[in-house]
Amino acid sequence: MIFDLPEAHALVAKQDLPIPAWLFAWAASIVLIASFFALAAAWRKPQFEEESWRPSAAWLTTVLRSWPLQVLCGGLGVFLLGVGIYSAIHGTEAPDRNFAITFFFVTAWIGFPFASALLGNVFPIFNPWRAIARVAGRAHSLVARRRMPHLAYPEKLGRWPAAAGLLGFVWLEVVYGSSGGVAVGLEPHAAGVAACVYSVYTLTMMALFGTDVWCSRGEIFSVYFGMFSQLAPFGLKDGRIGRRRPLAAATHWATTVPGSTAVVIASIASTSFDGAEDGAYKQGLAHVGSWIEGLGVGPLATIRITDSLFMAATVLAVAGVYLLGVKGMRSVPGAPAFRTLTRGFAHSLIPIALAYLVAHYFSLFVYQEQAQFTYLFSDPLGTSTTDLFGTAEYGIDFNALTPNIIWYVQVAALLVGHVVGLTLAHDRALVYWPDYRRASRSQYWMLAVMVAFTCFGLYLLSVGGA
Amino acid sequence: MALPLAHIGHWLWVFYVIPILIVIAGIIRSTRAEKKREREEAEGKKPR
Repeated sequence: MIFDLPEAHALVAKQDLPIPAWLFAWAASIVLIASFFALAAAWRKPQFEEESWRPSAAWLTTVLRSWPLQVLCGGLGVFLLGVGIYSAIHGTEAPDRNFAITFFFVTAWIGFPFASALLGNVFPIFNPWRAIARVAGRAHSLVARRRMPHLAYPEKLGRWPAAAGLLGFVWLEVVYGSSGGVAVGLEPHAAGVAACVYSVYTLTMMALFGTDVWCSRGEIFSVYFGMFSQLAPFGLKDGRIGRRRPLAAATHWATTVPGSTAVVIASIASTSFDGAEDGAYKQGLAHVGSWIEGLGVGPLATIRITDSLFMAATVLAVAGVYLLGVKGMRSVPGAPAFRTLTRGFAHSLIPIALAYLVAHYFSLFVYQEQAQFTYLFSDPLGTSTTDLFGTAEYGIDFNALTPNIIWYVQVAALLVGHVVGLTLAHDRALVYWPDYRRASRSQYWMLAVMVAFTCFGLYLLSVGGA
Repeated sequence: MALPLAHIGHWLWVFYVIPILIVIAGIIRSTRAEKKREREEAEGKKPR
């Protein structure tokens, strides 16, 4: 069979697929191209510029926005943050046995994007720093008999602090943590210290600029999870919970706030790097690492410097592909300014960021959440001296997902994410180019961007390490 | 006779790049054709 090629040194895929993995990339590309022509022919007026928000039943808002629920959920967030920090600092140094690592880097970091994309912005009610800041602010008001004064947030900064923080968080997890064959290799003690430092930093910023302002601009998790919540059919308006057209809220998320494009680029790039580090980049990392070590740098510093360089290169590459697409759109007569296009189409990358997240992490989430809700809750310190809920001896059932199921979910996630992204981009193009023919022509380049991201994502997943 | 393809695995990434190259080639071809048509329309409208 022509496709049965002997592979002397290549990484062997773990799946047992009926066709080679690269053919899935070709099939996905064909679906994207077909979607492009379908959109060009049938989608001639913008559909997502209006949210079509409709209020839900009043009792829902009353219950979900009530102060007892706010106190309960905020208190739960603070409690779990505290358990995480305590476990990290006083528990086992084995990352896979310590509550903190799975809770911070899997349950929260991966769970909240999934939940936000489906249910809307659910993180604020659980945000521990927001809860602490609100209590502190209320206490200050009672004692000082006036609201705490805040500095005006420099709007030119926009969401850049969140973008930088997002990269810093992933750098801590993937680069600083030494991967030792476990799901997340960061030492728990380092994670605990980082959580403490981040808590002090966040509460200071909230005190300076105001809780709501910092949460909407600089607090990493609020901005990151809030980005995915723009895709959801549920939202908050004037203090009332309601339903809206799915995806519609995303159309204005990036247009006015600087740094929003950077947040979504950082999300795609950091997920890509995490997937590529043990797969596609392996040989390159080894070559560059050897060169750096030859300069007299120690082994651990060599790994971190090499990984940091490749992570930075991935960010630049993802940003470069997107900006090339924007530049291509500029070539169509009637195109707005480059900056307008860059911000105007950034929201079309949000479904791609979510698709990358699902593709790279959903199997990790399925496996590690088994641990989270069994032995990690019963023995959070991982010292085998406690069994709070009688599940300390449980294990992970790795047969819950077969390699083929994982691959098919990954392909489906990437395909759906990119088709949705293409649709959002086409819809925005109709705003900038009212002539639907010109709008479709402008999207040739976004099609190339989407095909590039799809093939790149599938390549990363196919060479293992994902 | 076996084909000397033992190291083909190092070049699998090429198969993932091909769809991107095809799309870019299509874009360039389509853009050139449209510019040529616009130029011909503009020349056809010019007074002799």
